[in-house]
This record gives sequence, C-alpha cells and structure tokens, in this order.
Amino acid sequence: MKTAGWSRNPIDAFVAATQEKKGLTPVAPAAARVLARRVFLDLVGVPPSREDLQAFLADRSPNAYEKLVDRLLDDPRYGQRWGRHWMDIWRYSDWYGWRKGNDVRNSSRFMWRWRDWIVESLNADKGYDRMIVEMLAGDEVAPEDPQVLRATGFLARNFSKYDRHGWMQDAVDHTAMGLLGITLKCARCHDHKYDAFSQKEYYQFRAFFEPYQVRVDRVPGQTDIDKDGVARVFDEDTKTPTYKLIGGDIQNPDKDHPLTPGVPAILGGAAPEIKSVSLPVAAYYPDHRGFVHADLLTQARNEITAAEEGLRKAREEFETGGKARKLEDKMLLAEKALTAAKAAVPALEARIAADNAAHSAPPAPDAEALGTTARKAERQAGILKADENIYRAQLEFAEALSAPKPGEVADEKKIAAAQKRVDAAKAALTQAAEGYTPIGKVYADSSSGRRLALAQWIASSRNPLTARVAVNHIWLRHFGKALVPSVFDFGRNGRAPTHPELLDWLATELVSNGWSMKKLHRLMLTSNTYRMTSTAGEAGAASAKLDPDNTYYWRMNPRRMEAEIVRDSVLAVAGQLDTTANGPEIDATGADQTARRSLYLQHTPDVPVQFLKTFDSANPAECYERNESVVPHQALAMANSQLSRKQAKALAARLAAEPQFIQSAFESILGRPPSAAELAEADRFFTGQDAAQARESLVHVLLNHNDFVTIR
Amino acid sequence: MNRRTFLADTGMGFTGLALGALLNRDGIARAATLGQPHFAPKAKRVIWLFMIGGVSQMETFDPKPELNKYAGKSIDETPYKDTLDNPLVKKNLREVITGLHKVHPKIFPMQVGFGKHGQSGMEISDWWPNVAKHADKLAVVRSMWTTDNNHGAQMQFHTGRHVLEGPFPTLGSWVHYGLGSLNDNLPQFVVLGDPIDTCCGGLGAHGASYLGPEHAGIQLDVNPENPLAFAKPDVSAGVQQKEFDLLKRFNNLSAVEYPDDASMRARIKSYELAFHMQTAVPELMRFEQETDSTRSLYGLDQDVTRPFGEMCLAARRMAERGVRFVQVFHGQNGGAGKWDAHSKLKKTHTELCAQVDKPIAGLLADLKQRNLLEETLVVWCTEFGRTPGAQGSDGRDHHPYGFSVWFAGGGVKGGTVHGATDELGFHAVENRHYVTDVHATVLHQLGLDPRRLEVPGRKRLDIDFGEPIRAILA
Repeated sequence: MKTAGWSRNPIDAFVAATQEKKGLTPVAPAAARVLARRVFLDLVGVPPSREDLQAFLADRSPNAYEKLVDRLLDDPRYGQRWGRHWMDIWRYSDWYGWRKGNDVRNSSRFMWRWRDWIVESLNADKGYDRMIVEMLAGDEVAPEDPQVLRATGFLARNFSKYDRHGWMQDAVDHTAMGLLGITLKCARCHDHKYDAFSQKEYYQFRAFFEPYQVRVDRVPGQTDIDKDGVARVFDEDTKTPTYKLIGGDIQNPDKDHPLTPGVPAILGGAAPEIKSVSLPVAAYYPDHRGFVHADLLTQARNEITAAEEGLRKAREEFETGGKARKLEDKMLLAEKALTAAKAAVPALEARIAADNAAHSAPPAPDAEALGTTARKAERQAGILKADENIYRAQLEFAEALSAPKPGEVADEKKIAAAQKRVDAAKAALTQAAEGYTPIGKVYADSSSGRRLALAQWIASSRNPLTARVAVNHIWLRHFGKALVPSVFDFGRNGRAPTHPELLDWLATELVSNGWSMKKLHRLMLTSNTYRMTSTAGEAGAASAKLDPDNTYYWRMNPRRMEAEIVRDSVLAVAGQLDTTANGPEIDATGADQTARRSLYLQHTPDVPVQFLKTFDSANPAECYERNESVVPHQALAMANSQLSRKQAKALAARLAAEPQFIQSAFESILGRPPSAAELAEADRFFTGQDAAQARESLVHVLLNHNDFVTIR
Repeated sequence: MNRRTFLADTGMGFTGLALGALLNRDGIARAATLGQPHFAPKAKRVIWLFMIGGVSQMETFDPKPELNKYAGKSIDETPYKDTLDNPLVKKNLREVITGLHKVHPKIFPMQVGFGKHGQSGMEISDWWPNVAKHADKLAVVRSMWTTDNNHGAQMQFHTGRHVLEGPFPTLGSWVHYGLGSLNDNLPQFVVLGDPIDTCCGGLGAHGASYLGPEHAGIQLDVNPENPLAFAKPDVSAGVQQKEFDLLKRFNNLSAVEYPDDASMRARIKSYELAFHMQTAVPELMRFEQETDSTRSLYGLDQDVTRPFGEMCLAARRMAERGVRFVQVFHGQNGGAGKWDAHSKLKKTHTELCAQVDKPIAGLLADLKQRNLLEETLVVWCTEFGRTPGAQGSDGRDHHPYGFSVWFAGGGVKGGTVHGATDELGFHAVENRHYVTDVHATVLHQLGLDPRRLEVPGRKRLDIDFGEPIRAILA
C-alpha cells in the first residue's frame, strides 16, 4: 500500500484503503499555524490569540499538536462550542409564544438550564449514553437531583400550549431523527414508504412519551416560578391510552386497539422492559423541600418588615400632611396590612408543620391535630388579609367615585373594578374552610418508567444506530462532510455511507471508550486525515480530477465558520469576547449590546438575531446540518453591522501603539503575517489617509476578509 | 462488548446500502465561451413559478370528462382497464422499494368544471378565471412525467436528477453559469417565497452544486417595509468605497493561493454585488412607485392575493431591471407543500388557486402592457400531478406518470396545447416530456445549448440535457 506510511491512526488506514482503490493521493499536512487556527475554531470556537499561536509555534516537542488538542479539549470553551452543535441536533429553543404577554406557547421557560447542562456535561465528558438517559428520563433516574432534571429540557422543549398532538409528534419525530437517524415521522399517517416501520410502530413509539408533561420546580432563592425555576418533565397520567391515528387524523383514533410502548422491530432487540419508578417525596411534592419552606418563610417575614416600613411612612405623611382625612385612611390601611402580614407567618409555619407531619413516613400521629391548627391559623390570617383588602378596595372605590377635578366625570370602569374588588374581598371572609392549604401541588408518586426503558434501549451498546449517528454528527463537524450525508436518515431513502467500515469502527470506538466524546474528538483530530492542507495545489491536481468533491478525503475540506463562530470570533480577535458561562438567555434584540458568546443569545423561531440568521444559524425547529451559503447578505452584515464596525474600532485602538500595526492586525485577525504583496497594498492604503481612519479601515477590511470566516 | 455483535447489521440495509452507480467523472469539458449565448436568444429572462406539493392536472389544465363518466368505478370496470398494465407503470417510476407505492383504482371525478377560453378555445378549469383570460398567451404541455413518486420530485424538477442521486446544479444556476449579467447591481438568479422544505431537497432546488456557490439562487425577502438587512453603512460612502477596494485586492491575492476554492470566488463576487445591492434592492422594493391600478392588477388590494401578488410584482420589477432568472415558490408549509392534496382536494385547491390566479394573470397582463412579455419567458410548474383515482374519500395521491405545466411569453406560441395524457389522465401518452425537456426549452429560448454547458470532470448524462419542446415555440 503506497500510502501505508502515511497512516497515523486507524482512521487514516480506513481512509487510505479507499483512496488506494480510487487511485487518490493525499496532499501534504497543513502548515502549523493553519492547523492551529483550524483546531482552535473546531474545538473552542474562536481563533487562537497571537500568544496562543506563538506558544504553539514555539513548542518544538514532537507531540506539540497532541498537547494542544488535549489542552483545548480541557478548555471550558470546548463545551460552549460543542454545546451549540448539540443544541442544533437536539432542537434547543428558548420559550416563545407571546413574550410581551408572558404567555408560554411553545418550549418552556428556563430552557437555559438545559443549555447549561449540555455545556457542563460536554466539559465533564459525561458519556453520551448517560446524556441520552438523562435527557429522556432524568426525572426517573435521578428524581431528586435538579442538576440532572435540567437535562429533560430535551423533552420540555417540545411543549406546545394548544397542540398536544403536535407536541407528541415532535417528541417522536425528533427523538427518532436526532438520536437514531431514522425518519419514523414518515410512518405517522401510513406505513413508512421506504423503511420497514409500520404505522402502528410509530404510535407505539409515541406511547413512551404519552404520559409526560412539563412543570417548573422552584429553585432556592426564588419563590416565583415565573421568574426562575427548573423546567422538567414528569409523568402526569400513566392511564392516558395511546391510539393509532387512522391516516394520521387526530379526529380518527383507532380506539379499539390501545397500544403499548414498543420500539420498531426492525431495529432489533426485544422491547425494553418497563418498570414503574416509585418517586421520593421531594420529587412528587417538590414544594415540600426544606429550601422552599425556608424561602417562603423569609418572604413572609420580609413582608412584615415592608409593612412596618409602610406604616412608618404613612404615619409620617399623616403628621407632616396636616392630618388630612385621606392620609389618615392610608395610615389605617397600613396598620391593617401590618396586622395581616404578622398573622401570615404563624399561618405559614402551621401549614409547614402540618405538611411535615402528613408527609413523614409513617404519617405522624399528631398530623390531624396539626392540620386543624394550620386550618385555624390560615383562617385567622385569611380574615385579616381580607380585612386589609376590603379596606383598600373601599378606598379605591371611593377614589374612583370622586371625580378628580370639577367638570370631569368619574371613570366608570375604575368604579366597577373597585367594586368588584370589595365584593371579592368580602366573599373571601365568608368562605368555609375545608382543611388547610398545602404548601404546593402534590404530583403522582410514581413514574411509568417508559421513558427510562426507551432511553436505555437507545443508549445501549447493542443499538445499531445510536453510536453511528452520533459519530457521523461529530465527523461532519470536524471534516465538513458527513460519512452518511443524510445525517438524520440512515434508512433506505437516505444516502449510503462513503466509508461504511470507518463509520462502524468509529462507532465501536465510541462505545468501547465508555461513550466518551472527548476521546472520539482526539482520535479524529490527531489523524493525518484531519491534518492535511485544504487546498489541492499541484500535488492534488490528479486527485482533484478523479474526485472533485473530495468524497474520499485526499485533502481537508475548507469550511465557513457557523454564524455563532463568526460573531464570537469578531469579538474575540478584538479582545472583547465575554466567555462567561451559564445563565438566562439574553434578549435577541440586545445582541448588539452584549459581548457574551452567541449561544447565550435568545434562540427562538419567532425573533431571530438578524446577524446570525444571515449566516445560516440553526432553525430551532429542526437543524441536523447547517447550511453553508455564500450570499451578498453576509457581505452586508460584515460590512455594515454595528458589531464589526464597533469591534474594528476597538481592535484598531488596541493595536494603534504597536510598532508594526499592519503585521499585528493580520496576525490578530487572520492568524498569519501579511505576504509581501499584502503588506505593499496595506502600506499604499495608509498613504495619504488619516492614520486613525486607515487603521480602523484596515482592521475592518480584515474582518471582512474571506480568510477570516474561512476555516482552512 | 463483542465488536462483531455490535457491527451485525439489522439486515434491512441501514448504513449497509451499496453506493449507487458512480458517475463517470472523467468527461472531457467542451469549450464554451461562458457569458455569451450560443445562438441568437428569443428571451432574455425567465420568471419561474413553482407550486410546491403537486398540482392536480385534471383540475387545472387537462380536463378528463371520462373521470366523471366512471366516477366511483374501479379502473378495471372501465374501458381503460389496461391502463394499469401499461409497462410505464413500472418503467416510468424509480422506486426505492418495488411495489410499495399503491395505485388508487377507484376513479375520483373532476372537482371543478372547465370552460373554453380565448381564440384558441383552450380548456382551463374554473379555478383559474383570471389566468384563463390569457389563454392565448399560454402554451400548455399536458404530457409531463417524472420518476419520483414522492416529494423529492421537487428538487428533481429543478435538477433533472432523482433525489437519491444527490444534489445537482439547478436550471437557474445553469442559466447563471452560462450567461452574463444584464445588471451588475442585482443578483442574476433570485429566489422569492419560501423555498421547498429540507424533506424534499431544501435549498438544493435553487442550489448550484458543483457549479459553485456563486451560481446559486439568492433569496430576497419581499418586504417593502424592510427590504434588505444591513443595507446602510455607518461610515461615509467614500470610506466604504475605499474599504471595499482594499478588500477586493486582499481577497484577490488570497484567491491566487486557493485557486480551487469555489467559496472564495463566490465571496469575492458577493461583496461586489452587496456593494451595489445596498441601494438597488431598496429601490427595487419601492412598490409605492406603482400606480393603484397596477397594484390591484396583482391583487395587492386583497388579503388573499397580496402575498403572492407582491412576489409577482417584485418579479416583474426584477425582470425590468435585468434579473436573469426569478424563481418564485408558492405553497411552502414546512413539509411536502400546500398543493399536496391527499385529502380535501376541492377545498384546498380552490383556496390555493385563488391565492395565485390573480397575481399570475396580473403578471402576464403587466408584462404584456410593458412590452416585456416577448422577452420574458414565464414558466408555471409543479413537481408532479395527482392520481385519477381517489385517495380516501376526497383526495388524490402523488402521480409522476402524467401532469401539466405551461409556458408564456419568451417566444413561445400562445394558445397552444401540446401533448396529452390518456383518457383518465393517468399516463402521458402523446409527446411525452421528462422534466429536463422543460430545462432545455428554457435554455434554448435563452440561446443556450445545454450540451455545450459542461464543467471539467463532471460527466453529464443524456437525460440531463433534454430536448427543447419545439412544437410550442413560435
């Protein structure tokens, strides 16, 4: 084998074997600085800084490159870079619907916690198998661990307020496409036209998901679950049957044949055994956790302090305001508010005590007595609160009745509303109390175990597709082309693998290395296949003729940076990128005002970040592979956006004092010195121009340079 | 874990498919002077209207009274029972799994009436009252066929190749590749409307494949409120001009380093174009320049017709300004397409026709009154037709064996009906045309010979070239 000496690892051997057959010859390795820029962009999503690059070029040890790969895999920015890739495949979307009205119609609040879980899991090199289990069934494997519960954002993301069928459909279709590379979705209305999936099997797959719903659990420090919490899934009702929808018609379920969960027979293996999971109290009664009690008590006590302060102010105003009648009313209201706030604390304490007794195992003997005490305390507090509310409503009512100025008419709507509040407050006084109000909602104390069974089947080393599909996705993102070009369809209507043996071998490697993605990255990145130059040149002329599409990897594929990497890199080379991890999504309209990495920007189908969209950012509804267009809109975005102009100014100012400005600008932005011809052009550009403007322009031009957005 | 166990395939072909026949790649490029027509063109530009999902031929341009006569009967019970024995049933089709696709035997009557229109007496369904007024401008081809019985046929209609063979250059990209620019301020190949879904070829239906991204269609939003994002530089025109000049010099120097990088070439061109588009695109979308009567001609005054009307109006404004190929999509629905009438055909086709009938008629009338029609070839098309038999109670299934498209302007003979399907509208039987015949016709009118459009190392097949449909040419 003439390319035998070329092989550095088994990947190369597979690639070389095919090349041999096709008469192709691999080109030379890429120059060190080209390779360094490539691997930085591939692993951490920003180009190397000048210092990074110098350090690498200065390292003469034979394993300098391997050390760099290891260092970058350990860099926390790796999780951010690859997190965004997996967010594409797993359909990450922040919640959307009607943001102004705070109305969640699709996806769920706090999806960012799932995003943070993805980033952290990748950085920790959590096994891919474990990641699948946590995403599909985190609530069943670790019901008490909020860190794991975040992972179920994978399913919470499918929430649809008005369309349960659409929701279930997304869960089925994208679990199948994303994790298994099968277009099970084609079997929703009829048997699959290409692969051996029956329509019945489609709905049996759906049955795994049928019981699940989404809820938000409290997190320490915030009692309002509209403001913060963990969005997670849980099985609400295991009794809901699954029916085949005849012809896919939601009006036409086949009610005579309820279906049990099952996996497509063609994928081998018996249906996984489903075992019900009994849940601990903290899982089925999340508000029974200690921190919730503590937070609620703190909140109630803070309300006393606030009421005391309110009363102090009202008294002061009464004294200084000539003891006016109106101010006296306000003072009386403040007194009532304080009384109510003071009563609220013992009521809350009593309810907590009653809850504790009721939910201890076995239930405490004094549970009933404590319940009665709680009811009384709650009732007492309720009366005082109603008294406050009635008084306030009456004041508002009187206010509404009196026209503000002579000649003006009182606002009838306000009067009606105020009257309504008076009535409601009075009604609260007379309502009979039945028991006490528990602190929160109590959910089912067991979970069906269906999703766990499904997850274990998918994440099994015996599943023929899972590892291959994952390997294919990772390969695509390192080599610019997938081994199976139809990344979401490994079936008959998909495209055949170009290197089936290599795909199989890599899949086996992934599994036998404990599903470690980092080991797989390392394997790919340290191959000779990865290290080649991306241009054919003289040496590759013959191969270019035989294989113009480079189907057989006789050279590296140059790629365009993805949208997020363009934006992040512009910020990074200007020294402005803020790599802070974690936290709520940043409003899309504020993208220009933040230097955070792009994966932290709000990502929803309705409000795209225009700059990112122009560079083919992911469609949150479905994106198994990014498009890589070259269109004038991108030129306009780079030429005219605030982002590139602002960063050009910043970088030009930073480099202004350097003795060799032009060289520094080239090295900072393109990771290489200018050629003699480029230097001459740049020099000419500075002639007869204001130097400050010329510096800004030069930097701006280099940000627009094709070599900037290109991963060579 | 046992490696062999893991590798054991499931026996049904996942990842184990044999690679389809490799194309012979050592074809020899034929010298063609790019940028120049090969012979005197009849048309300068093309407006390509593609209806996504598969329009029913027997409810639009190919009336089949026999369907009404035998409504509810099985094909076997009619005098045309040999329809299903026709060897074309198999031969016409490139199936992925033999015999999986079922024929619907129970005849479904036409869901709409037909009338005769114009001097030619062309038969057009009652869902097209406005287009029908232009019957004498149309050349209808009733004998189209394709090979994919699923929606990959959408991409196939644009590339001429079955979707299983992967992406190939589309007609628009060949036109872009073969002809020079008429206006350097605008893209030469523009895409309006939402392109087909990823299920069916996605951006591949206006892609350039191996011709390189510089020849791909460029999507433009038709949004007069916000015609082009990032169109305003925040430096003076002088500074911007200098920056663009320097950038071009740098990129050209880099292009010497990477002579085989098609994206590099495309990016250099994209910057040239972008510079001009900053002013040209907002000007293009200034619909307020149009009179009220023009606006209502396209249906901009009606909610139902406005979205497609705006696209047709934009297409005319592009044609006027020299855009070579405007590809307009109608019916994107995040899946197979809105025209895909598996059920409720009558209701959905009525609605969809109403969305496009007036705008298309307005486009034809407006091109005519501006003396643009003679040099503008308008093509109305879809990926396949629909079955003569009923699917369910009120729909029709996919039908690659026979369907209709039409041409207007650009040197075609108006008032022409060419080709025919059989009495049931099942098989194209007379003057059969594969989709690349449509491509060849378009190229021919533009003065291009597809056989002279080749790229070194890219062997084209006979079927890629097609033959111009000469019978419809004036």
